[in-house]
Amino acid sequence: MTEPDIGIVGEWLHSYEEDTGDAEVYRPARHPFRPSRRPRRGLEFRADGTFVELRPGPADRPRPVTGRWHARESGVRVVFPEGGRVDLTVLSCQDGVLTIAK
Amino acid sequence: MTEPTNARFPARDLCGTMLVHRRLLNESMTYRARRAAIETRALRYEQGRRAPVRTEVLTIPVVVHVVHDRAVPADDIADEQIHSQIEALNRDFRAANPDVAKVPDVWKALVADARVEFRLATRGPDGEPATGIVRVATDRHDFTVDDGVKSGATGGSDPWPSDEYLNLWVCRLRGGLLGYAQFPGGPPQTDGVVILNTAFGTTGTAAHPFDGGRTATHEIGHWLDLYHVWGDDDGACTSDDKVADTPNQADANYGLPAFPRVTCGNGPNGDMFVNYMDYTDDAGMFMFTRGQAARMNACLEGVRASFLVSPAAKEAPAKEAPAKEERLTRAMPETWRPSHDGDVERLLQDSERLTTEVLNDIRAAIGMVGGHPDG
Ligand SMILES: [Zn+2]
Repeated sequence: MTEPDIGIVGEWLHSYEEDTGDAEVYRPARHPFRPSRRPRRGLEFRADGTFVELRPGPADRPRPVTGRWHARESGVRVVFPEGGRVDLTVLSCQDGVLTIAK
Repeated sequence: MTEPTNARFPARDLCGTMLVHRRLLNESMTYRARRAAIETRALRYEQGRRAPVRTEVLTIPVVVHVVHDRAVPADDIADEQIHSQIEALNRDFRAANPDVAKVPDVWKALVADARVEFRLATRGPDGEPATGIVRVATDRHDFTVDDGVKSGATGGSDPWPSDEYLNLWVCRLRGGLLGYAQFPGGPPQTDGVVILNTAFGTTGTAAHPFDGGRTATHEIGHWLDLYHVWGDDDGACTSDDKVADTPNQADANYGLPAFPRVTCGNGPNGDMFVNYMDYTDDAGMFMFTRGQAARMNACLEGVRASFLVSPAAKEAPAKEAPAKEERLTRAMPETWRPSHDGDVERLLQDSERLTTEVLNDIRAAIGMVGGHPDG
């Protein structure tokens, strides 16, 4: 397993207003996001390899789904214990902005 | 991209919706059993196998907890802003909102008056005079969705008894979130609704496009057991909101969509994005349906039956904008006005239609309330 990429460690929320044609933009959870009725998807990469995704919840409280993450070439692989595996291509991660390929 | 199994984050992996509910249900067997009973009952009402016994407009006592950073005085919103929210609720839940006229013709016959009103509590939990507004200055700048705002121990404000009052917490929420709710049947100490301070009411700090008071209307819809009209299946057409007269629709709608918006083969009329339980802007949502009103009735005559007998609900009439014909009712002498006791009596005597389980619900609710001092 590759050492976690420290740059990506933390809690990110989808700043969908900033998305481009082929990239999704995430900012730290503490960022002063504009109020939005559309839920902001959350991605949390913990240093111990725990991954928490925040998905839309039925009473508007985001619903955490936990898995494991590890860095791979050009991105991150996430594996969920319930099954399912996702590869994220990290386009950039600097100055408090995480950009992921759509 | 690196040979992804899913190109995007799989919102729908492993049959989305059922996972939502299963995870929630697994949290507690008690909660699971309660939700099942609530759902069974809701379906009976919704399918017309049971008619509501309630004949009167129910007024729900509300306590608003304004939890604000002591360093940010503007977050301590004014009474006027709070009153503007109560007024908005009393329009929306009585179908007395002027924008109900914008409902597309094809759905006009479905518009429902839920016959629920709200009033700031005039008595506190111990029977003491109250304004229904609790102001708490805190050292916390904002809150997350961990229910921290619902307890003084975590920098928030403790609820008033949630079987007698609807607790509304108003605060700054992280992540741009407008609010969140708890379905009936959950833990009483966190029961109620949380609203972002700039999405609360229609004046003061309320900010466009969430300055129509509709965040609270939507969240209280959940508190009265309504689901999102799209069924929380993240774009699939497999699950709906368990209400027959709202069309099955794929996903949430945002902003101000144009009619019709067809998904899930629900043409020609398409998604009911004008419903309070979709995700459009405040100016884009203006109706509950009859089916949703039936679900709310099932909730109010079941798991939330305590509100039908709550002493707090039997206080003097509200000062806030009475809706429509209620003005007449309120002008009548006290003795002419139907009391909630009438509804309770009917509920208890209507044993032919009531199951033992439901009777027990109501008796338990009365017991709870009766156990209160100054009841
Ligand atoms: Zn909702």
